[in-house]
Amino acid sequence: MKSFKTLGLAAALMISGASLATAQTALEGGQEVDMVLLPKFLGILVFDQANEGAQEAHAELENPGDLLFVGPTPENSVAGQIEIMTTSATQGQGAVMLSNNAGDQIAPAAQAAQEAGTRVVTWDSPIPGGEGEDVFVAQVDFGSIGVVMADMAHSILGGEGQMAVLSATPDAANQNAWIASMQEVLAADEKYAGIELVDIVYGDDQAEVSYNRALSLVDQYPDLGVIMSPTTVGIQAASKAMQDEGLCDQVKVSGLGLPSEMVSYTMNGCAPEFALWDFRDLGYLTYYTAYGLATGQLVGEIGESFTAGRMGDYTIEEDPGRPGAKRILMGPFTVYTAENVEAAAQ
Amino acid sequence: MAQPIVQLEAVSKSFGMTHALSDMSLDLFPGEVHALVGENGAGKSTLIKTLTGLYQPGSGRIRVDGQPRVISGPQAARALGIAAIYQEPMVFPDLDVAENIFISAADEGLILRPAHQRRRARDLIARIGMAFDVDQVASGLTLAEQQAVEIARALSQDVRVLIMDEPTASLSAHEAAQLRRIARTLAESGVAVVYISHRLEEIFEIADRVTVIRDGSHISTRPVAEVTSEGMIAEMVGRAVGNYLDKAASTATADIALQAERLTRDGVFEDISFTLHRGEVLCMAGLVGARRTDVALALFGVSPATGGTIRVAGRPMRIPDPAAAMAAGIAYVSEDRRKLGLAMPMPIRANISVATLGKFLGRWGLLNRDRERATAEAFRKRLNIRTPDVEVPVGTLSGGNQQKVMLAKWLNMEPAILIFDEPTRGIDVGAKAEVHDLIRAFAAAGGAALVISSDLPEVLALGDRILVMREGQQMGVLDAAGASQERVMQLATGQATLQEAS
Amino acid sequence: MLRLMDRLNPQVLRILALLAVLVAVILFFAAVVPNYLNGRLFNRVSSSVAIMALIATAQTLVIITRNIDLSIGSTVGFVAFATGSLITNNPDLGPVVLVLYAMALGAVFGAINGLLVAFARVPSIIVTLGTMALFRSALVEYSDSKSISTANLPEWLVSFPNTVLWQWGQMQFRAAFVAAVVVVLIVHVALSRLRAARRLYAIGSNPEAAEMAGIDTRKTVFVAFVLAGALAGLGGFMFLARFGTITVVAGLGFELKSVAAAVVGGVNIFGGSGTVIGALIGAILVDLIDTSLVRWQMVSEFWREAVLGILILLSVAADALLMRRLVAARAAREHRKAEERIARELAAQAQGPAP
Repeated sequence: MKSFKTLGLAAALMISGASLATAQTALEGGQEVDMVLLPKFLGILVFDQANEGAQEAHAELENPGDLLFVGPTPENSVAGQIEIMTTSATQGQGAVMLSNNAGDQIAPAAQAAQEAGTRVVTWDSPIPGGEGEDVFVAQVDFGSIGVVMADMAHSILGGEGQMAVLSATPDAANQNAWIASMQEVLAADEKYAGIELVDIVYGDDQAEVSYNRALSLVDQYPDLGVIMSPTTVGIQAASKAMQDEGLCDQVKVSGLGLPSEMVSYTMNGCAPEFALWDFRDLGYLTYYTAYGLATGQLVGEIGESFTAGRMGDYTIEEDPGRPGAKRILMGPFTVYTAENVEAAAQ
Repeated sequence: MAQPIVQLEAVSKSFGMTHALSDMSLDLFPGEVHALVGENGAGKSTLIKTLTGLYQPGSGRIRVDGQPRVISGPQAARALGIAAIYQEPMVFPDLDVAENIFISAADEGLILRPAHQRRRARDLIARIGMAFDVDQVASGLTLAEQQAVEIARALSQDVRVLIMDEPTASLSAHEAAQLRRIARTLAESGVAVVYISHRLEEIFEIADRVTVIRDGSHISTRPVAEVTSEGMIAEMVGRAVGNYLDKAASTATADIALQAERLTRDGVFEDISFTLHRGEVLCMAGLVGARRTDVALALFGVSPATGGTIRVAGRPMRIPDPAAAMAAGIAYVSEDRRKLGLAMPMPIRANISVATLGKFLGRWGLLNRDRERATAEAFRKRLNIRTPDVEVPVGTLSGGNQQKVMLAKWLNMEPAILIFDEPTRGIDVGAKAEVHDLIRAFAAAGGAALVISSDLPEVLALGDRILVMREGQQMGVLDAAGASQERVMQLATGQATLQEAS
Repeated sequence: MLRLMDRLNPQVLRILALLAVLVAVILFFAAVVPNYLNGRLFNRVSSSVAIMALIATAQTLVIITRNIDLSIGSTVGFVAFATGSLITNNPDLGPVVLVLYAMALGAVFGAINGLLVAFARVPSIIVTLGTMALFRSALVEYSDSKSISTANLPEWLVSFPNTVLWQWGQMQFRAAFVAAVVVVLIVHVALSRLRAARRLYAIGSNPEAAEMAGIDTRKTVFVAFVLAGALAGLGGFMFLARFGTITVVAGLGFELKSVAAAVVGGVNIFGGSGTVIGALIGAILVDLIDTSLVRWQMVSEFWREAVLGILILLSVAADALLMRRLVAARAAREHRKAEERIARELAAQAQGPAP
């Protein structure tokens, strides 16, 4: 079986959240409510996995309504998301589950949707200001991602060396939050004193841009030891670039990646360690949350607790990263190495 | 003479109600320069387009080497050895001379041979008596050189009939002489050259035979030796004159509205001097290329004069742009309705108000549509614009009615001076009379009208006085009462000067 | 100097000027970026430009006819994905079949554009703006949210782009770059020496005159789009080979990068003139500046695009100015010569009747 190195921190946070629960709601299935799952854009594997999880929950709860998986095309992500949000509200959808790629620009449309009676549950990437959002289903504690990335860098560099970050776009809310939390961790803990963060560049979540940016980093920082890429596109492009140019001995790649896409790089040593959570579970939990809210079984108050099918009990809590906003913390986090990646890639 | 290369037999062509060509017959023989003369709109262009396959004859037929042929398009015409060059040369500005010449040559195979092509290009250019570098791109050539390139292109395809449509209209005197020499050279080598020109002296210089056409009909074909310029002009203008051309009574006053003194635009026109009185209609006559429109555009500030003075109501004015002209009370009704005058998809109402939007502003600076509509309705009645509604797009109206909308647009500005550029071109006789009445009414109300027209009977009927131009020069100002079409034509073609005649 | 410039063909001159700009850019960055000038820079830029060189060449074919293909990035993305899924499902297919498949698929997309532009007479900017979104949506639909992964591609395909054909010091001439340059050269020779290709220039230079000269403008424009599509398909194949991982965003933004490369390379955006060699150098220049700016600490992430834009504007403006000057200067000299000749002729005539 899989031997996952599960992170204690995330688990601990989850338990503390659960202990605040005042009332445990067992969600009653069979109620009819139409819902929309809205990813950043279509055609990315992890979003499709999230959809599978949501469909699983949809079947499990025997909702006679429709679950639609709709999203914009990649070149039209921001405008497309806003448009789908608005359309969903006019159609009277019970809930929109949003992985936000539009920053706070989507807030007015989301608020309008709420006023029209549509619940807005975000997942994967929240609305930064929290406006127009009922609750955010966080895959892991954003603070803990910083710790995980810092730890992976520490282990790859042997405690000492240069690190650069290859992110997605300069305005991706989730990536920016993770990088900020990693910077805090690096500065706060004496353990990481030997790690120098030299640069942050952006590959726009496109393979060719990320690939070229990774190589530029190597050229610019001859002593670079690790490229940390908190995006599945970036980590893979960077790994390929290092492998193509025969640089894997010199520069390692780490970050957040999909086991199926990263397995060869982990096995050949280009990307010895990386992390991710399960997007199927994220879609499943998001569906349960949205279903509870849309059917009125959940109100969306802090402290409210419910059972999300096979995944167990979860509680709505305050989001530590975004004052005034609410979240549900999924966790845990899985770190993949040569020991477990092949099994996970199946 | 030998067998004609091309014969037109009773060719007719109509566009709607207009007969552009009727029963036109013409023979073109190898080795002759055949001049084709006629007024603007006589049907010369239609004839050329029929010969080059752009139009198909409505009836009649075309024979080539005695065989009846259908010329389905420019390519088919080329294959039969018929080519045309125009006032505006059809060259490819980015390609070099050699590439231009051989662009459509079919005999050269799949792969280009630049060295061979250059050599042949040089030969062809030399054959027509020119000498310039065949490696340079065509955008750097003069107009005459560009025309030479076109002729060389035609020669490269063994042209047998070369139609030259006013080739010298935009050329300098020296360049024009060069081009005439080329035409002569070609004819001597056995090509039938069809030469169209408004410069009658050119025709006497190079033509072997002269064909006069008028109103789409063949009037005469004679050897040049049997032709006099007076006879030719009489045939060109001698149309039946309808009573809509009755002379109207003059309403001219002694007040000077506009005065031009030695108005010049370098290289375009020079030393144009005239006065225009309130209540007067002054007509400008001349042939295509006489630069009358350029004078109008200078008065209206589109392409300002570079020398001379303009006085409006006695005060010297600088008119650097149309806004200044409008401020001075000058309006210009363009010849080209489609390009410069009207917004075709927009309704009549909006077209009438567009130049004077300031009059229609209501509260908060918003346009008052009711007032716009009321104004448009008033003009519809006054000008008898035939439309059920002023909200229909202008593009759906007939030419005459479009012209009336355009006049309404400018009349609404209540200008002191109104310049009409070919106001009756391409509109039917009834509408022509209405437009004449309108111009007369404008003058009678104290306006000063400057009318550019190539329609001689119109000039004589409408104008109080007639200013004749030729190639950017003022040939004289005639009193309409004592003028005749022949007289105006003599001046316009440079066959006489004012001194000689008086 | 002027005399020398006069002797050279303007297109050759343009390419020399571009090379001079290229050298100037390299020297500039060498001065401001430490550890800049080495063989690795060549390897980076040459590998990266191999794909864009093909796309820019394709774009050039279309621009020459006074059109534009904004759907080219979507074409590249779709072809890369479709070719990837073909080889994933049929790992035994050979290189020739795969390349032909990619080019044929690209040609089909080009034909769709070509039909709409040439025969339905819809302006190309509107057609390809539409098909840009259309092809991308088709890719999203076709991909079914899956992505092509390097792990499923045969070894020959993945290793092909980086195979070193020969090496000179640190500089490596890799298969992808060499292949791209060979393709560009073939297209260049075809464009300058084939009679049919000359028609592309004629149409872009003066469409009306082309019609009058008996050129079938519709067919020619259609063929230009089909060829551009096939070249974009080849670009899609190279994209697949180089990056291995193909998602629905593959090739996003290539349409504007290819237009930039062509325009910087001296291709007239209004058609009628330009060479694919110029487009290749334009692609190299844009890629070089892009790569170098990342390494130049002075310019932050957010300003990089702006600086790149300014550099493109400058090079295009300089090119336009230079070419206009040259043509005018040359024409002026020609006219002076002609006038002298005329004066001589007139003098000869004055002396006596011609023999």
